[in-house]
Amino acid sequence: MNGICQIESIGVKMPEKRLTTAELLDKIRIPCIRRFGLLTGISEKKVCSFDEDSFTLALGAVTDCLLYSRYRADELDMIINCSITKYKNGLSHLYEPSFSTLIKKAIGAEKARTFDISNACAGMLTGVYLAEKFIRQGIIRNCMVVSGEYISSISDNALKNIKTSLSPELSSLTLGDCGAAAIIERTSDSDNGMIITGFTTLSKYSNLCTGRQKRDAPGGIMETRAKKIHEAAIYESVPIVKEALERNCLSLKDITWLIPHQTSRSSIISGANHYLKCFGETPGHIAITLKETGNTASTSHFLALYRYLNEKRFTEGDYVMLLCFASGLIIGVVIFRMNKIVYRYGR
Amino acid sequence: MGVKIKMVSVAHSGNSIFGKNSISLSARSAKQCLEDAGLDPCDLGLIINTGIYRYRNTGEPAIAAIIQEKISKKRNNKDDQYNNRSTFSFDLINGACGLLSGIEIVDGLIKSGEISHGMVVTGDSEPFPGLSGGFSFNSAAAAIILSRSDDNKGFCRFRTYNYPEYSDEFSSSTQFERRGTGRKGKNVLNIIQKASYAGYCIDCAVRSLLDFYDESGIKPDEIHLILPSQSPRGFAGMMKERTGMGDNFIELPDKGKKVLHSAGPLFALKKVWDDNRFINSANIIFLTVGSGISVSITLYKN
Repeated sequence: MNGICQIESIGVKMPEKRLTTAELLDKIRIPCIRRFGLLTGISEKKVCSFDEDSFTLALGAVTDCLLYSRYRADELDMIINCSITKYKNGLSHLYEPSFSTLIKKAIGAEKARTFDISNACAGMLTGVYLAEKFIRQGIIRNCMVVSGEYISSISDNALKNIKTSLSPELSSLTLGDCGAAAIIERTSDSDNGMIITGFTTLSKYSNLCTGRQKRDAPGGIMETRAKKIHEAAIYESVPIVKEALERNCLSLKDITWLIPHQTSRSSIISGANHYLKCFGETPGHIAITLKETGNTASTSHFLALYRYLNEKRFTEGDYVMLLCFASGLIIGVVIFRMNKIVYRYGR
Repeated sequence: MGVKIKMVSVAHSGNSIFGKNSISLSARSAKQCLEDAGLDPCDLGLIINTGIYRYRNTGEPAIAAIIQEKISKKRNNKDDQYNNRSTFSFDLINGACGLLSGIEIVDGLIKSGEISHGMVVTGDSEPFPGLSGGFSFNSAAAAIILSRSDDNKGFCRFRTYNYPEYSDEFSSSTQFERRGTGRKGKNVLNIIQKASYAGYCIDCAVRSLLDFYDESGIKPDEIHLILPSQSPRGFAGMMKERTGMGDNFIELPDKGKKVLHSAGPLFALKKVWDDNRFINSANIIFLTVGSGISVSITLYKN
């Protein structure tokens, strides 16, 4: 491996308020989706209270991240906000100024360059992709990548619209709220540096999952052809993952932890089975972390990393692969070796 | 090796009551740009959309992915091109300065040899027509293609200057409001622009430009063209006076009560591209100003 960046610290902000799958399904009287919890593996998710939104979650995650970091806010060179939802003051969608500008001002990151990006659930990993490019070019030395997702309004709106188990809004019920942030920095330890590869948009699948603001209700609406997008993602990702591994003289079994985008347990397991057929081997572990959080959109990979770091599941030197699938269809691979960050979490 | 502009294209809705849709306009300008450049969609390693006000406030997929699909679909029937795995797309949102942020990213990727061509598309339209207050921007879009060049010319310096003390001068967001006799609720876009905003934009842009000259060691009289943002209203005209650049500071004529927003600098570029002033100018500055207040400046050498 020959990477020049590493994850220096990660922070998370979860809302306190819980919504169990049982409580959610009580609001829908359709017998055939009673197995929703079993299929998705989600027993509860966290949802914003009246005083929380995308911005407070993002800011909370940034604050938490700085607590674990050796950087002060005024030492940050760049801040990239990557959330799909840009709700501030409740469900008011902010267009201008950018979230990253407001975060910069709130934490006093005086010298940081800022911009927002939006790339569906691949947002934070696209942020990492860009951070690495700017660091590689010598423009910056570190970058805070952040996202705050107040996305459960999509689930609330879906509850009113779902009439059958074939509803395109069914996947919306998996969405939970979360904020996550990570500092990416230059490292001289190239053997453990991040390999960021294969980031591709397969736009012929771009109509399989679409989300937008609702015209006549607060929040958003999302329509997904879940089976089709899942099949496309799994099928199309195989050559991309293969190439990423071959380029770095690795095989899938060398990967200690594979962390895919957290959509549902059944789709992660079926993806793992397809990979077993194609690669003839499996990674050490496949992370499924959505049981108590649901699908937290662009924050899901960093939420999984944060949780496992705090649970002391990682060991220094472990190979970790972050695999992103997102509406677009976006596929991308990030591979790195766990560094000394493992000793700073879970104490 | 340098990174040069290969083509620029613009699209606006004109007087049509149809087509005031940022996504369609952006796709139209992107497709035209690609055709004029003589490139195929799969030649583009990166597509970045930097528009702010998007049709129906689409959240996912990225508008860039939808544009990628629209420019690929009708142009290529060949499976190998339609199934290309060589393009990555995403949206970048940074107010009116997003355009230059996007160009900087494409420039960096071309210079590092990762891609040969990249496109930045930008366009705005009222998200839900009729459901906004203070929306004074033209429905318009523009696209620019950057390509690798063998000489060391093209884009050479990118700088952004921030003035957070003025962050309250301009803001735009949606609020759920109950309107009309039936009191049905709607998400309404409200744009709040203080009367002092344009003046502060001019002050910040002048300060930034002077800093840029100092940092880059270039003298004002060595600049032959400035391609600026066309909003807020009055910005380009006042800057023209303050810089003393005359007709070489490109101010586009006002069309009614509306101004161009994120696509403004590319409309200015298109004007001088078509009348050959761009190609005949040695040193050109792109200058954007937007909410924050942020000012982005880049130098382009022919």
